[in-house]
Amino acid sequence: MAAAVAAVGVAGAEAEMNSDRFGIGWRPRLAGGILSNLERLDIVEVIADDYFRAERQQRRALQTLAAQTEVTLHGVSLGMASAVPVESRRLDDMARLCDEVKPAFWSEHLAFVRGGGIEIGHLAAPPRCEATIEGALANLARAKQIVGIAPQVENVATLIDPPGSDRDEAAWISAIVRNSDSELLLDLHNLHANATNFNFDANEFLTRIPTDRISTIHLAGGKWIGRHGAQRLLDDHLHDVPDPVYELLAEVAARAPQPLTIILERDGNFPSIETLLLQLERARDAVALGRAQLIPSEVAA
Amino acid sequence: MSDSRLESFLARIYVDAAAREKFLADPRGEAIKAGLTAREIDDLANIDRDGLELFAHSLEHKKAKHGHQKNQHP
Repeated sequence: MAAAVAAVGVAGAEAEMNSDRFGIGWRPRLAGGILSNLERLDIVEVIADDYFRAERQQRRALQTLAAQTEVTLHGVSLGMASAVPVESRRLDDMARLCDEVKPAFWSEHLAFVRGGGIEIGHLAAPPRCEATIEGALANLARAKQIVGIAPQVENVATLIDPPGSDRDEAAWISAIVRNSDSELLLDLHNLHANATNFNFDANEFLTRIPTDRISTIHLAGGKWIGRHGAQRLLDDHLHDVPDPVYELLAEVAARAPQPLTIILERDGNFPSIETLLLQLERARDAVALGRAQLIPSEVAA
Repeated sequence: MSDSRLESFLARIYVDAAAREKFLADPRGEAIKAGLTAREIDDLANIDRDGLELFAHSLEHKKAKHGHQKNQHP
């Protein structure tokens, strides 16, 4: 691990280590396990879209959860990284929910999800080009204006090398993050899957993005799909976090001394809550490992 | 000017099996018909076919499983 890359004061690093937060994605099937283990979680991530049209009772339940622990709202349907402006009504929905829940922050994906009136039904990687950078910057500025807070933006996994691209993912994401008020939500399984599927080095990717703008980390798992000779790694959130993702987490922790929020995402094929909490413990260990390798580099300097 | 046209084109070939089949039979011709730029047409002519098929299949699988299309996470 190339840990001796960032320099930070020892005292500062120790203080920041204490500010890292670890949490889990809220899913109805995990509700009981999460609620009975709130003392072991610093934050809970909720899919915002599930509540845009929810009944008042459900929204009250979300407010109750937010009163007990820190909550972050995660959007999946805005389509921020598009040459097409996000519809105001969608941003209004997010603004209303943020107003009700008062999340620690909110986030969305750097994806397009519809085009020409067709809903893709998934987060699609847009063409990585100037037009989608400009579109994303305009959408993020409008989102900040309407919601009141800029969203954190998340890199997406893709099974297809997006057509119409004239630059790679690191250059494209960096241009958006550097030119917006949005912090980066770095999904390490998405990074791992893209690096695996498109044959690039995930560690080198980390040297090319503004790691000082990473605020949140997503951890998840996936599986191999496709026929022999044309297999790809699918980010499905149905499997345990694989070893390379923990290794990337340690690397990020070494490169990004600022406080990080680490969220474990699991969408199905649910193991016990203890198993998920153990994965979160392993994430804590990975962050501690990265932080430990960051501190001696300053001492040596 | 074809930025949004490209997104529309991609959305169609991702979710519409008939449109995808037509496109894969003649990528350049279909891209020209959609009014895309020369660069986009070249890109689509060299599309990542394995990736397109796998992505489309994963969307179909998701739709079959959930009965409707929703931008589910991930």
